[in-house]
Amino acid sequence: MSAAAAPFEPQTCVDELGELLALSLADDLDLAFEQVVRTYQDRIVSLAARMLRDPQRAEEVAQDVFVRAFRALRTYDRARVRKLRLRPWLYSIAMNLIRNATRGKHLQVVALERDDGSPRPIADRAPPPDAQIEDKEDWEHVRTAIASLSPRLRDAFALRYVEELSYDEIAEALDQPVGTVKANAHRGLMAVRAFLEEHS
Amino acid sequence: MTERLRHALDEYRTRTKVAAGVSVATGVLEGLGIADRYTALESPIGPVFVSWNARGVVALRQAANAEGFERWFRRRFERRVFPATERPELIGLVQRALGGEKVEVPLDLRDSTAFETAVLEKARQIPKGHARPYAWIAREIAHPRAVRAVGSALAKNPVPLLIPCHRVVRSDYTCGEYVFGSERKRELLESEGLPLDEIQALARRGVRYIGRTEGNWFCLPTCGTDVLEDEHTCLHTIEEALARGLRPCGVCRPVAA
Repeated sequence: MSAAAAPFEPQTCVDELGELLALSLADDLDLAFEQVVRTYQDRIVSLAARMLRDPQRAEEVAQDVFVRAFRALRTYDRARVRKLRLRPWLYSIAMNLIRNATRGKHLQVVALERDDGSPRPIADRAPPPDAQIEDKEDWEHVRTAIASLSPRLRDAFALRYVEELSYDEIAEALDQPVGTVKANAHRGLMAVRAFLEEHS
Repeated sequence: MTERLRHALDEYRTRTKVAAGVSVATGVLEGLGIADRYTALESPIGPVFVSWNARGVVALRQAANAEGFERWFRRRFERRVFPATERPELIGLVQRALGGEKVEVPLDLRDSTAFETAVLEKARQIPKGHARPYAWIAREIAHPRAVRAVGSALAKNPVPLLIPCHRVVRSDYTCGEYVFGSERKRELLESEGLPLDEIQALARRGVRYIGRTEGNWFCLPTCGTDVLEDEHTCLHTIEEALARGLRPCGVCRPVAA
């Protein structure tokens, strides 16, 4: 791997519709909210499905995201709603809920004993991540690589290179400084790239 | 390597993209009570307001203006309804149904009780050009003594015309009440071809069933528009019909099964 190769930067399209929607929401929340759901539901469900790797759970989480968003908007004054950047705001709600949803799941995966407390034989445990990946396609390696990243790198990397948000938006969604998310996204990219090279 | 990585990421993004199921938006909007839309449409009784959500048509009503309809909707369903910004396919179906076509319009009757729903579903099956007594509905839904309750359930019909509650009349074939007025009910039934005057005159003479000469069965006098046009005999009681060897009609089911 040549470390000097410049990492590519995805184009982030400006969320113009989101700006308009924020104005409509400030005007009549009940009336405009349906359009918010229709505009962002595919993005939010896809994000959750990638993070949770469970499409059905992803839909539940997405519903929860919008319900919470609506309830929060109810408590905001008009000026705040008008200025709201909808896309990163919805992503921040989604990332929090996804984090909550994975917490319980991880505990399950690493359980080393059976329900009755006896030790689980090694063969019953989940196979190591790279045990069966030799003849997989690149995109599947990417999936495996993302799953093996630490949460800090994974979140920043996924929001930048999969969801294609701007660094500004990611900083807002993760509530971290722009410099931090830039560095994390870049480190994530390098790790994914190294993984891909190892498996070519 | 950069090209390969970029390509792998694009592939990953595309392959893991999910389109949200209909249930996502529906679940959210219904959960928040903001799923209902409305528009104004032409109908046989003039302009009406029609509201719907992803499940089907919720309500049909006359109102002086949009605000009046919104107020009525909020009182009746305890949630808001919003002017539609687009007309889904459903509204095309509603227009065809209001135009007299026989089409199945999805309805959302979740605000009705089980009893009301049973009454409404039964009324919905009454074909154009037919009418049935309140007592007939009560009997058909296995609550033969709940005739008044049938009347109340029909009075609460959220979707008149789409569920043709105007086709349910008194046992003497006078019209009875109607959300758009008794006179409108008569006009609708006559426009659908029922000779109401004639049927009511027969009822006053105690005629309750009609024997069809062609075929050996007997009907209610409101079993379609041609009962009195064809050759027939007037019958006063079921015993009289049975004594003549006539069987009850399978469409209007004049006697309990």
